[in-house]
Amino acid sequence: MWETIIVAPFTNALLMIYKLIGGNFGIAIILFTILIRVITHPLMVSQIKGSTKMQEMQSSKEWQEIQKKYKDDKQMLSQEQMKYYKSIGYNPLSSCLPSIIQIPLIFGLYQSIIRALAASPLQLLTLTRSVYPFFQVGDLVPLNSKFLWMNLGQPERIYLFGYAIPLLAIIVAITTYIQSKVTMPPSTNPRDQGAMMGKMMTLYMPLLLGYFALTFASGLSVYFIVGNLIGIAQYALLGKVNWRALIPGQKPAPALATRKK
Amino acid sequence: MKIKILVMLSLLLGLIVVLSGCATGMTAASWSGTTVDANNAYIAGGPYVYAVNLQTGVQAWRFPDKASAANPFEATPTMTSDGQLIVGGYDKKLYSLNPQTGQSNWQFTDARDRWIGGALVTEKMIFAPNADYKLYALNMQGKLQWSFLADQAIWGTPVSDGTNVYFGTLGKKVYAVNAQTGKQAWVQNLDGAVLGTPVLGADNMLYVGSYGGTIYALNTANGSAQAIATTSSSGKDRWIWSGPALDGTTIYYGDGNGSLYAQPLSGTGQPWNQQLNGAITGTPLVTADNLVIGTEAGNLYFIDRTGENLRPISISGKVYSSPVAAGTLVLVSPTDGDAVLVALDQNGAVKWSFTPAK
Repeated sequence: MWETIIVAPFTNALLMIYKLIGGNFGIAIILFTILIRVITHPLMVSQIKGSTKMQEMQSSKEWQEIQKKYKDDKQMLSQEQMKYYKSIGYNPLSSCLPSIIQIPLIFGLYQSIIRALAASPLQLLTLTRSVYPFFQVGDLVPLNSKFLWMNLGQPERIYLFGYAIPLLAIIVAITTYIQSKVTMPPSTNPRDQGAMMGKMMTLYMPLLLGYFALTFASGLSVYFIVGNLIGIAQYALLGKVNWRALIPGQKPAPALATRKK
Repeated sequence: MKIKILVMLSLLLGLIVVLSGCATGMTAASWSGTTVDANNAYIAGGPYVYAVNLQTGVQAWRFPDKASAANPFEATPTMTSDGQLIVGGYDKKLYSLNPQTGQSNWQFTDARDRWIGGALVTEKMIFAPNADYKLYALNMQGKLQWSFLADQAIWGTPVSDGTNVYFGTLGKKVYAVNAQTGKQAWVQNLDGAVLGTPVLGADNMLYVGSYGGTIYALNTANGSAQAIATTSSSGKDRWIWSGPALDGTTIYYGDGNGSLYAQPLSGTGQPWNQQLNGAITGTPLVTADNLVIGTEAGNLYFIDRTGENLRPISISGKVYSSPVAAGTLVLVSPTDGDAVLVALDQNGAVKWSFTPAK
């Protein structure tokens, strides 16, 4: 099921792009990432809207009153929150569902990259079986796994003065940090749990994705970097990028949603 | 909100677990290579290299002490004339081991990628192919003498006639490189990647199987190539994975569709083919009376060299690697099976099987 719906189509789409552009797998990953981001753009818009609505909701008097009133009764608090969500037409899943949908795409893409690059006999055999009939497998093999200074099927290191520097992992961590920082909705409410979680993610996500980039095939790192840059561009197009957040010591600006009004 | 935090953290944890699983899974089940000496069989079988007593099927030692599932051993080990066991791993290191104890003599760490093909050993030199596109020539102390950069990864063991070293690449090329200097003598393009080991004939011809489904005869003097046979299978299973076997007058090879072929090299003899169950990725073993070959479907076949009297034997696991002869025994190392090594007699009766302790 997973194989038929995700991995095989992803692998063949990557191979198709690879063939069309004349055999550069790095460019194929970049174009495929853009394609995935374009397809999932409506989900991202929905996520941004959901987050904005949640922020507005948490700043509202009604919400804060509910929190105060039922602070010692968790069951009632939960029921009242749900009622309030309904009354304003807010779906609590709307801000995290798009993220959930992205996860299988990352898994699928990683497996597709590894499969397409076929860096071992077993992987080549699996690739042979998963390509669609319109491909001539003999013509496809081997895929050119070299891109810039990288072997896309291996974790990346650049050698400087005898030291192996994980340059791509550093770029992944930096771009992830920048993306998290500039796309995090500003909040002036110190008890805003969403903002607290956002801050936590700004710290953990770069470390996590940096660790992935350090450990796994560099093709995945290319996906992360391009995905981060496109993510920033998507937020910028929607007018939701807060560049001031990158300046150290900068006080939080008023919420973007409020500023837009 | 707490639920949302929990969902996000669970997803992150899931991402770590699944991606880690992918990374491990992609290398854990490997294609095992086996070699033998008078006492032991040596198997590069997943996370360890094992030495197994040929008489008893009991483990003599295993290497390394602490294994890594992400860095298995797949390259067929090779014995040198001065008593070293040479084997490379996915950890990019080429090891010289003491075949009696399994202790490391030296390590060669210059390669940038995996060791998938086994090394060729001559009296004074070790020629080791790596997936980093290079063939490394070392002396018996593991010191680099020269390296040759090819166009693509080298997965097959090279062969040598004393003057040149010959090997194929995934880039659809066959190279001849001077064994002393490492200078290219010639290079020839073929119709598909060369994944296996070429075989040298007494007629100074080099026989190579290609992923395009063709057997080529190349003149070792100048590299001129002639297609002498193709597979009759069609579609994406027409590939030839390993190099052919040669018994002096006939070459034998299999394809991805499970067809086993015999092609006489001279006018004498009749070509034949037999349809087996499962893809053939190994080189047939030629014994005094039989051919022995395994298939992905988990069968080992004994067959007369005339193509008759086919005797299938069921093996637990997939038989990707080539069967190996050890005296009167035939050794086969299945992937994903109960045992890492199975020893059979010439009639196909299992004498012993070796399953590593967990």
